[in-house]
Amino acid sequence: MASGKVLYPLYQLGNPQLRIFRPNFFMTLVRPGVPQPEDTVQFRISMQMTRVDVKNYLEKIYNVPVSVVRTRIQYGANNKRNHKNQRVKKPDYKVAYVQLGQGQTFQFPNLFPEKEETPEPGSIEDIQKQFMEKERQRQTADPRRGGVTDWFGL
Amino acid sequence: MAAHRGWRLVRLGCRLLHTEPAAAPQPQPPSPLYPPVVASHTAKSKSAKRRRLEYFYQQVHEAPSIAEKLRLYGRLQRLKYVVYPQTFSLNADRWYQSFTKTVFVPGLPPAGAEPAGPEAPDLSELRSLACDALLQEHFYQRKRERPFLYREQQHVPAPFLTQLVISLTAALGSRNPLLAASCLDLKPQVNFYWERGETVVCRGYRTGRIDPVRFQIDDKPQIQIRVPKQLPEFVPLDYSVAGEVPVINHKPDKLPLFKRQYDNKIFIGSKVADPCSYGHTQFHLIPDQLKRERLLKANLADQIEVTYRANGIASLFAWTAAQAMYQGFWCEADVTRPFVSQAVITDGKYFAFFCYQLNTLALTVRADQNNPRKNICWGTESKPLYEAVEDNNVKGFNDEILLQLVQFLLNRPEQL
Repeated sequence: MASGKVLYPLYQLGNPQLRIFRPNFFMTLVRPGVPQPEDTVQFRISMQMTRVDVKNYLEKIYNVPVSVVRTRIQYGANNKRNHKNQRVKKPDYKVAYVQLGQGQTFQFPNLFPEKEETPEPGSIEDIQKQFMEKERQRQTADPRRGGVTDWFGL
Repeated sequence: MAAHRGWRLVRLGCRLLHTEPAAAPQPQPPSPLYPPVVASHTAKSKSAKRRRLEYFYQQVHEAPSIAEKLRLYGRLQRLKYVVYPQTFSLNADRWYQSFTKTVFVPGLPPAGAEPAGPEAPDLSELRSLACDALLQEHFYQRKRERPFLYREQQHVPAPFLTQLVISLTAALGSRNPLLAASCLDLKPQVNFYWERGETVVCRGYRTGRIDPVRFQIDDKPQIQIRVPKQLPEFVPLDYSVAGEVPVINHKPDKLPLFKRQYDNKIFIGSKVADPCSYGHTQFHLIPDQLKRERLLKANLADQIEVTYRANGIASLFAWTAAQAMYQGFWCEADVTRPFVSQAVITDGKYFAFFCYQLNTLALTVRADQNNPRKNICWGTESKPLYEAVEDNNVKGFNDEILLQLVQFLLNRPEQL
């Protein structure tokens, strides 16, 4: 599959082989929605790719040892409607489940880990946080009254 | 008034006097006026479900015959995973071990009884039988048609294996009376249905309910030997094996394993009334899709042994468990004696030997709560029987494989 139109010179026996075929395929590594076994990696691939293509792609370009690839096509729903009441289709896509070879495992990383925010003592955020804490404590009712509001009484 | 009081006193006195002799023969309690208070049968509640389950178990326990018991056990049809013993899935043996609660022990079980004395001289006769069968298929018989796609195993290795087993069984019949009374099946059906673990139903009108995970094996070994008496156990029933049953926390769908709904069949190769209701040895042929050359070409060299192991574990579990069900045991009535069978798995050249001991059938969640028993599968690696066959000559015949095969066939209980 040549990407773009390139004019190669006419080939005759003995000429150097000049034609370069770069795959026009793209694969996206995705986090699996359902937990997968440790050696399984999930990709979204082009609809025109086959499992043989996926295997060759990963082995030749990225040197990833691949044992087995299974693919399926996910149908995109056509239920949503726009402001003109026309049906809006979500695009279909192909998913590939790649089982790695040589006993390798893969776990999709946590890209957005929750950070513990510890503001420096003296900074504006720290003063603000302490102020908000004091306000919150002032707003809460007296615990000795056992949950009864302060306007209730003699 | 005084008379009444006196009469009451006399009556009390009479009762006091009469209590002691009446203590020994207690008056019979009257039959209950109301039926026992039990949970509802049809309500949408946990106690009702429990009562329906208890009623079902009671029905199966009280079934008048084995056939009726099997019919009631597999009466309800639901979607179940179809487990194929000969599968291309990667690392299938670990998954199958977790489905069947089996521990895999490499090597063969500890040999208990001493082997029969004069075996070495007979080995030459058996070797000549094996070489005859080999040469007949590879060289003497001119097979005109080239085998079609994926039919190579049926072309040469299948008839060789059949001929080898039949001739060896006939030759060893004099030594082993159990073999003489055995039944040899060609391409029999072996089926088993069981439940293991629980899951939540994700689709359909039963969404959200907790269901047991159901499995079915439909196997077709190449040859099977069934005997009227059971083989002796390799280890005691509650033996604690050095090894663990692998625990896999993913759904079987990830193996990949697919669901289907059809008849829940349990079959050992013959019907319940057949006298040869115990298993001796099975012989399996690896199919064309899983041959050594294909796996090597696809860079899956480590999966070669996995296919043999998965085949051994699944086939033997199905066979031994079906034998146990034919004797009346099931998951709520666990086996009281271990069921033992053997298998030889080959692709025509490489042979692997497996022994299986079924110690427990209780694999459902309810029956497995306090069950320390595990099933055990022993297995060897695949070794070649011969190096090459060249024009009327078998090069590099391996006597150890033949000896192991002969020992498998000569296995018999002590009483015989």
